[in-house]
This record gives sequence, structure tokens and C-alpha cells, in this order.
Amino acid sequence: MLALRLARSTHPLALMRRLLVAAASAGVGFLLLCALGYASGHPAHSAAAVLRLLWCFVPLAATVQFAVAVARTDPSTRPRSGLSAVGLGPVRLTVLAAVSTAVSCTLGSMVALLLFLHLRGNLSGLPFDGAAAGLLDADAPLPLAAVLVLLALAPVAAATACGLALRARPVSATVPDDVPEDRPPASVTPPTGLPWGVALIAAGLAVEAYLSRDEGRSLLPLPGRFDATPAGVLAGWTLTAIGLAMAGPGLAYLCGRLLQAVRPGAVRLLAGRALMGEARRIGGPLGVVCAVLSAVIAAYALYGTGPRPFGPLTALGAVLVLGCTSATLLTSALEAKQNRTRTARALLRLGAPASVLWAATALRAAALLVVFAPLTWLVAELAALPLTA
Amino acid sequence: MEAPPDNDVIWARSLHHSHNGSPALSGVSVGVHDGEILAVTGPRGSGKTTLLHCLSGQLVPQQGEVWFNSVPVHTMGPRLRERLRRDKFGWIAPEPQLVPELNAWENVALPLLLRGAPHREAKKTGLEWLERLDIGVCAKKRPHTLLQGQRQRIAVARALAASPSVIFADEPTAALHRADRTHVLRTLTSAARSHGITVVLATHDAEVATLADRTVPLLDGRPVATVALPGVSDAEGRAACSLSV
Repeated sequence: MLALRLARSTHPLALMRRLLVAAASAGVGFLLLCALGYASGHPAHSAAAVLRLLWCFVPLAATVQFAVAVARTDPSTRPRSGLSAVGLGPVRLTVLAAVSTAVSCTLGSMVALLLFLHLRGNLSGLPFDGAAAGLLDADAPLPLAAVLVLLALAPVAAATACGLALRARPVSATVPDDVPEDRPPASVTPPTGLPWGVALIAAGLAVEAYLSRDEGRSLLPLPGRFDATPAGVLAGWTLTAIGLAMAGPGLAYLCGRLLQAVRPGAVRLLAGRALMGEARRIGGPLGVVCAVLSAVIAAYALYGTGPRPFGPLTALGAVLVLGCTSATLLTSALEAKQNRTRTARALLRLGAPASVLWAATALRAAALLVVFAPLTWLVAELAALPLTA
Repeated sequence: MEAPPDNDVIWARSLHHSHNGSPALSGVSVGVHDGEILAVTGPRGSGKTTLLHCLSGQLVPQQGEVWFNSVPVHTMGPRLRERLRRDKFGWIAPEPQLVPELNAWENVALPLLLRGAPHREAKKTGLEWLERLDIGVCAKKRPHTLLQGQRQRIAVARALAASPSVIFADEPTAALHRADRTHVLRTLTSAARSHGITVVLATHDAEVATLADRTVPLLDGRPVATVALPGVSDAEGRAACSLSV
């Protein structure tokens, strides 16, 4: 109840983020139900049904990542003096955050169920009633237990991930509403994942190039149109994506380091140091966005030229993954900004013009864009090269 | 509008201000002479910080005037006031308020860099001031690795390094132990005197106020002759407070 009461009077933007989590969870639930519908409609094609189910885990992972990022920025469940005074410490607040996430995701799952039943034609009396009955295999009955399990998947996964991620928050009951000053900046030591990330990217590309020589061995094809994707290619892409996510923090740290090098003025100094401090927080989601974008570019280069490149469900999945990863990136940027409010206030008190702070932020974003955009393009080109050649 | 006396670097007349309705200042007039150290004393909640915010242009008083060197501050726009703060004023808060990502000398040199000073010159000035305040060994360390007293001295060095006309120190020693307190105050006052910098020092500590040339006692947002309140005996307080709770 407390989670709901706190949610009721939060800022509209925070509520919007929760709503986006619910929407993402709805999308995942819908995709999972579609996979179930296919399985019950085509009992003979069990391999294809399992394949569809497995593909649903990509949007599920993106949704969980987004839910965790939203829970980290949620103002109502952050450790603060008002709740600490009544005995709600970091542990109880973590539980509160997990419950809030579960509530949003369950809301999304309910919507997904209603929409699914409606489009199948099971609920009548509304427009578009049974509009997609053929696509969703309306003639086969759905097992209730399977529906419940699949719909519970997103809430349970998101709430568990939230609890695990927020458990590591610093325990400081007497923290005022903003961050204490003498806390060490977010990362004192540089992130160490860069060599591993580069190695994984290279290994992924090599695996993909090596295995894509054997045409026609499709172990894990994408349902619908992508039916000729060899398993090796997918394994390679996965390795590359993990590598990009691992290399992200290190690359962001390097960007910051270069930005503040060689006799910086105030703007470059502030921008570079802030980027070095935020490298861990921003770099990971940025690497994931890069991986997703390069996969999209590569997929477009491979299949985008056909008459009907992808079906509606694949499109829904792609939109979910793209939207969730970019929303995660934006939310992480917001979290970094929230953590810097105290510094910004100190700077303004020194008489720093607001334009300096804006310029520092813009410089950070530009530096990241300059490094990560060519990287995305390069990885996408290299990933598509062995398949198109 | 009446022009202020010439020898006052800052001059304020009948300042009134309230924070969301709760009154903070009611009719405070104060003049700060050039090069003096003025202590604003009073218990917590007596309006010291609000007065310093008004004088330094961080807050525009709801009524009253503030003049700096015969220029009205209360009519300036936010951009001009910001520039005034950057170029002419220094601020020392109860907490050091350092930028956690920058090391000690960069924090000290930051006001100079913000004014557009070249990197080399700003670094030289920053390191010089750290040496003068006996914290030259911490020049390359981040604030979170330093002690509270050292951090506060960095904040003092940051205020002094920009060579402002006026330094506003709002309870600069509130979070420090006695030894650190004496050290910080002595460095601040001696550096201000030797460089001819005016200091407005808010403090609740009568001992600290003895370092100043002049004292303006405040009580409940009004200037008073003395802040010493009549002692309240226990029995009297109990009789006066006859609420049954």
C-alpha cells in the first residue's frame, strides 16, 4: 500500500517512466502469449514454437534492464531522511522498489492479456474485435497455467533484478535528501572491462565470419522472415553485443580522459571529469544501445531489401528492444544528472553561469556521440560483411 | 533612491525577506566598510544566512536595498548578479562544497578558470594559495580522500584565490573541531587582512566573533544591541508552560 501511496504523489515524469515500464512489460507479455498461441495452434511444430519462445527473451531482457534503470531513478524509493526517520531503511526501501516494479509490470501483463484475448476475438463488443484471429491462432484453446506462468515472467524477473541491483546501494540512514558531499565520485578507479570487451567483439565477429561459410545450417532461425540465419551468426552477434556492453564504460572513461587532457578550461575540465566519473553508469547502457543499433543496421543490410522484410510480431519485438534500451540509456543519464545536482548547486553558488553547465553537458554528449556512432557503424558493417559477400 | 555612504563597500537598508511566508529578515540595515571583518552573530534561525544571501546577491530581498560600491544589487537581473558573484565575491559555506571530480588545486583554480583565465596561470595561483594555507601536500588529491579540516581550508583557498572584493563566510567552522576551527579562521582573517579583502562572517559563536572588527548581532531577523537573552530558570519555564500533553 505504501508503494502505491508514494507513487500517487510523485512527479508526473516519474509516473511516466513507470508507465513506460508497464508498456514494455505489456509488449513482452503479448509476445510471450503469441508464442503460446502458436504452440497450442501448431502442436506438430514444437521446434518452431520453442524458437519463438526463445526469441521473446531478448525483449524480456531489455525490459528488465529498463525496469531496473527506472527503479534506480525513482524518487519515491530512494533512501531519504523522511522515510529513514520512521524506520524505513535501505533494506525496506529495496523491497519497496521491488514491489513497485512488480506492480507496474503486472499492470502491463494484465493489459497484454486483455489485448491478446481481444485481438483473438475472445472478448467481444469493441472495435478491432478478433482482428488478428488468424495470426494469433484463435481456434486453439489456451492452457490457463501456461498463460499465468508466462505473464508472471516479466514481473518476477523485473522485481528480482530490482532487488538484486538496489541491494548494493550504499547504506547510510542519515543521508539527507541529496547526496552527501564527501562520498567518493561514482568511479574512482577506471573501468577495467575495455580489453575484455574488445576481445569479445573481435571473437564474436570472427566466430560469425567463420561459421557463416556453411550456408543452410539454420539451427536457431528467426521465426517468420529471417528463416535462413545460421546459428553461428547469432552466436557471433551475441558475443559482439556482450563485448560492446563490456567495452562501453571503458570507452566512455577514455572519452572523458581525452576531453580533460592538455590544459583544459573550465568547461572541458568539468565535462571530462564528470564523464570519467559517470563512465560506469552511462557506458554500460550506451554499449547495449550500440549493440542493438548495430544489429538493426546489419539486419537491415541483410534483409531490408526484400518485399516483406519482417512480420508484425518481429516488428513489435524490435521496437520493444530498441525502445527499452534507448529509454534505459536516457534514464541512466537522468540518474547521473540527479547525482550531480549538489555539484551543480555548488558551481552555481560560485557564480558559474548556467551556460557553462549546459556547455559541459553538451560537450560530454558530443564526445560520446563522436566515439560511439562510428563504432556502431563499424561493428554493423563488419557483422554484415560475411553474410552479404 | 538615496546613494550610500562612500566608504561602505556593501550597504543594505531595511531588508525584509521571508521564506514561503516564514519571516527571516525584518528590517535589517547594515553597512560594511572597505577592508573590515564584520561578524554577523546570533543563534540558529536568526536570519544570518538569509542576510548573507541577500548581501551577496544570491537572493533578492522582498523589500529593501543592497548596494555594492555604489551600484544597486537589488535591481540587477540574475545574469548580472551571477557575474558580480563570480568576479567580486567569494563564498565559504558551512560545508566545503567542493566539486568531487576535481582534485584540490583544480577546485581552488576553478573560479579563475570560470572567469576565463589561462590554465597555466590558474594552476599557479591555485598551488600558491594551497601552499599559503599549509595544504600544498594535498594539491593532487581528490576531496573525498581528505580530512574535513583540509577540505574546509581548500574551500577557503578557493574563495581567496579569485582575489574577490568581499568574502562571505557563512558559519565556515560549524562542522570542524576546535583545533581546525582556529586554524581555518586564523588563515581566513590573516589572509583577508593582508590582501585587503572585506569579510562578512556569519557565526553563532561569540569566540569567533572576537576575531572581527565589528559585530552586528541579529535575533529573530532583527538587529539588536546584544543577543544575550535573560536566563530562564527551570521552575519558571515549567510554570509558564502549563499545557497538559
